[in-house]
Amino acid sequence: MTIEINGTPHDRTPLPGQCLRTYLREEGCFGVKKGCDAGDCGACTVHVDGTPVHSCVYPAFRAQGRSVTTIEGLAGPSGLHPVQQSFLDAQGFQCGFCTAGMIMTTAALTDDQRADLPRSLKGNLCRCTGYRAITDAVNGGSPAVCPAEGAAVGSSLGAPAGPQVVTGTARYTFDLDVPGLLHLKVLRSPHAHARILSVDTSAALAVPGVEAVLTHKDAPDRLFSTAQHENEAEDPYDTRVLDEVVRFIGQRVAAVVATSEAAAEEGVRRLRVEYEVLPAVIDPALAMLPGAPLVHGDKGIAEGIVRANANVVGELHAGIGDVEAGFAAADAVYEATFRTPRVQHAALETHGAVGWLDDDDRLVIRSSTQTPFLTRRAVSRLFGLSRDRVRVVAGRVGGGFGGKQEMLVEDLVAMAVLRTGRPVKWEYTRSEQFTAATTRHPFVITVKAGARVDGLITALQLTVLVNTGAYGNHGASVMHHGCHETVAVYRCANIRTDAHTVYTNTVPAGAFRGYGLGQVTFAVEQVLDELARMIGMDPVTFREINVVRPGDDLTAPGAHVPDLGIASYGLDQCLDRIRAASSTTDTAPDGWLVGEGMAIAMIAAGPPGGHFADATVTLLPDGRYELAVGTAEFGNGSTTVHVQIVADELRTTPDRVLVRQSDTDVVGHDTGAFASTGVVVAGEAVLRACRALRARILAAAERGPSEIRCLTADSVAGISLATIAPLSGSGHFDGTPRSVAFNAQWFRVAVDPDTGELRILRSVHSADAGTVMNPLQLRGQIEGGVAQAIGATLAEHVDVDEAGQVTTTTFRQYHLPTVADVPETEVHFARTTDAIGPLGAKSMSESPYNPVSPALGNALRDALGFRLTDLPYTADRIWQAIQDHRP
Amino acid sequence: MRPAAVEYIAAREVGEVLAALADGETSVLAGGQSLVPVVTRPGAPPCRLVDINRVGGFDTLAEDDGCLRVGPLVRHRAFESGVVGGALGDLLRVVVQHIGHPPIRARGTMLGSLAYAHPAAEWPAVAVTVGARMVLDGPDGRRTVPADTFFTAPFTTARRPQELLVEARLPTLPDGTGIGYAEDRRSSIYPQAAAMAAVTVTGGVVSAAALCLVNSGPHPVRAVAAENALLGTRFSDTAIALTAEVAAEQDTRRLDDDATRPARRQAYRVLARRALRHARQGAGRCG
Repeated sequence: MTIEINGTPHDRTPLPGQCLRTYLREEGCFGVKKGCDAGDCGACTVHVDGTPVHSCVYPAFRAQGRSVTTIEGLAGPSGLHPVQQSFLDAQGFQCGFCTAGMIMTTAALTDDQRADLPRSLKGNLCRCTGYRAITDAVNGGSPAVCPAEGAAVGSSLGAPAGPQVVTGTARYTFDLDVPGLLHLKVLRSPHAHARILSVDTSAALAVPGVEAVLTHKDAPDRLFSTAQHENEAEDPYDTRVLDEVVRFIGQRVAAVVATSEAAAEEGVRRLRVEYEVLPAVIDPALAMLPGAPLVHGDKGIAEGIVRANANVVGELHAGIGDVEAGFAAADAVYEATFRTPRVQHAALETHGAVGWLDDDDRLVIRSSTQTPFLTRRAVSRLFGLSRDRVRVVAGRVGGGFGGKQEMLVEDLVAMAVLRTGRPVKWEYTRSEQFTAATTRHPFVITVKAGARVDGLITALQLTVLVNTGAYGNHGASVMHHGCHETVAVYRCANIRTDAHTVYTNTVPAGAFRGYGLGQVTFAVEQVLDELARMIGMDPVTFREINVVRPGDDLTAPGAHVPDLGIASYGLDQCLDRIRAASSTTDTAPDGWLVGEGMAIAMIAAGPPGGHFADATVTLLPDGRYELAVGTAEFGNGSTTVHVQIVADELRTTPDRVLVRQSDTDVVGHDTGAFASTGVVVAGEAVLRACRALRARILAAAERGPSEIRCLTADSVAGISLATIAPLSGSGHFDGTPRSVAFNAQWFRVAVDPDTGELRILRSVHSADAGTVMNPLQLRGQIEGGVAQAIGATLAEHVDVDEAGQVTTTTFRQYHLPTVADVPETEVHFARTTDAIGPLGAKSMSESPYNPVSPALGNALRDALGFRLTDLPYTADRIWQAIQDHRP
Repeated sequence: MRPAAVEYIAAREVGEVLAALADGETSVLAGGQSLVPVVTRPGAPPCRLVDINRVGGFDTLAEDDGCLRVGPLVRHRAFESGVVGGALGDLLRVVVQHIGHPPIRARGTMLGSLAYAHPAAEWPAVAVTVGARMVLDGPDGRRTVPADTFFTAPFTTARRPQELLVEARLPTLPDGTGIGYAEDRRSSIYPQAAAMAAVTVTGGVVSAAALCLVNSGPHPVRAVAAENALLGTRFSDTAIALTAEVAAEQDTRRLDDDATRPARRQAYRVLARRALRHARQGAGRCG
């Protein structure tokens, strides 16, 4: 019996037990995405005889004799399906990995169901958008803009990949058919700390289809860090591809490579490992005590670990001024300790890579990564290959949020390819994503602050403990970053910081949107809110008195960063918006407690220590331009902005700009898509490349660089562009100097004292991003950041038990925000133009996340009359706290 | 998925299903929304599935002799439109909106949910609230089990491994009955806690009451003491508050977990109150 897919009969009989999603992907329908394997995320939604189903929980056998429609078959002969068109018009996507499923579900909704999206879209998760753009799309968006020549910047141009995203033809990491592909699976450690005494691979190798088993004896005897930074010294070298000592439950022990996933899994089950179990430490506070088990006792300063004998990866003990004198001068002093839990990035595309040897025997790694060039550098170094013998390329990346600024799979895939000489694929399962990828760093933060009755902050003291888990990737940098902009935004003469990042035998933490700022901001902004209350001042005025202003130096305890300055200033405008928000009114249910609260955040536009980008723009013989840029696109929208820059600088239209990106073969170098650099660093390199090319085009027409008016989309000074093509221009930017961007968030909330339920009545966000390159896209990025942070504040937590085992392993246990959980946020932009950023733009990306948790904490404090210090603010915790505070 | 580890039988008639089930190891595949993720989990043991989707006559949905008869292939979404009049129809229509999401409702079945017996699921609670009877077919013929003894533990029912749940009989509710349902904010698919009520008012006085607490123990249970407290009252705010107070004491889950007990008790107090208030809106009407 055949299965009809998009009108074409398919005769291949499904394998017994194969799910429809796998079958459809094997038949080439790559638009059907794998997000969770459990019917939770909806990325695999297809129609069977017109009914939407999650194809990962639909046995393929059952589709025999039925008609299946996937995203590829939704469009009719006359063009896009109306739902596809409205998702394109409203730009109802960012990374686009969930989009095919969203569209398929939406296309089958009744009118009643469309009117109730919180319920109807409960089965479709999006991690990027915050759902506003999706809701707009379902309700029918306004048509996309087509900017005229030279008018792209500042317009709401749609993402260049939009047509591919809504038709399921955008190619993500695993959306390709590789003949002869082998599958890799790993055995993971059941112990929090153990030495591997022996691995018996014989039974595994006897499984039909198993081609190789890799253990620590096969791994290069070199250390590296999974974290990727331009400056390699930033992270401790404490990791091996496969190590003889395992340091957390879930760490790789051995890998099995086989002709099918099932054979690889069977091989993993048949590995016999003898362990010597070692003492483990789970609690970061205990890890620093004398006599605690040492996680990396065999390493030290040479590997970049500050005090391996006390499990301390990095520490900061520094001050400016005299905090004791500052507290003595204060009229009010407040101190509190705050805790933030582990949070998962939960990008809908899991980590994974496919590797092979190309026709020149070069190692090629196609990976879901934010850092193709740094990953190439790391793979080259590990395996002793020269860089030109390794190519790393990213397809469209299905979400990152910092999680993919990490080499979690490419090293082992490379090792398997080099060992077998054959193509190898390794795709994390959703459970592995929870137990063996990285999380946000859990922080414990004590803040003590003092102020005078006139509102001046006289002293700030931070004590910070960061749990990096079993490896130090990003651990010290997240701590240093977290302790910088959070206090540097205030003009306080006396600041003292004592911070430690420590190892424990738990799943490693890593880079996560905000990079430490979110955690420390959560504490600092709440303590300042309390101080304002104590002196009887409103929180906005209190901020206005104390925040930095243009011309101020941005010093804070720790290494001085001389390239950072205020090259544009819109924080005053942000605060004005927050003050205005407070004059609105909302109605809450009878008996509910109502409160409001705000917080601010500052972020440096780019990291210290260098962030490099190269770009090349080429005039093609047909008069179009090709942009080559290294940075990866994972839904952040940098590609859209790059196209806008090219269009305006070369006075053409965006449809005449082609982009090649995320490939180490395309340009010389690019540090990667992290630290909010897509516009301010890669965009600046694009701008410089455009200007270099423009000068050459004008020179070809014997015109000077200022005579740009003679350039049109077709000709220069009347000469057809085709006659002077090809011509190229290149640009480079090293990411310095840097400016700062600002965000402010305000909430009004209502709390049901009967149940602890917290409802957001109104959400207002104000951002200073310099020149707004693309208002629709920037609004989406802010809405998405606010939504993620609402999730982390009210619901999300990855739990680790006393033995070090991660117990949150599925989306069903880990509550990602759904349509129902996210209120609409009013988004306002300050009007500023930056003196450093390209065309006056500044960074955004991560920063809208940071002020959300403290603003909710402050609103909750206002409603309840007391403060909750530990995240997340779940209903049962709020209710219990209300009971505990009853007189 | 683990292709080699799954044996799949596509049955065409009930005899083939029972023959497949005779080994006591085979699972019934109806909607598959809970079963498929379990059998395809990495490391899941080998399994044998009998698919009943092609069996004729399994889609019965008919009112007959004071009962709504529901067959094994009736999907959740069938209950989104009124399949039966009166308060039973209201209850089914209200409850189904809370089940999963549209793709789950398009595939999942009521009988699958009853046989799966998730302690937080909606249909088992409906069965207990209205006093449904479950018809099982097996090697020794058919037998009928009332809902209050059908559910025995989480994911465990009185169904023997060789038996198939072939029908659920849901009694229609008398005139003057109002229904109510209230649930705690859910993590994703199932509620953390919920309360379901069906209360009949005759001549201004509560003449029959069913109050079911969902996820308060190993399976849905009627809060009998609370129901008794409501009987004979005029269904006032005070009566509702007292009834909810009694119901809250019945939370039997995780007795050892003292930290969450007060919050859970409070949740049931509030949910019972909301479900009863909801029921009061429809109670006392005739015809």
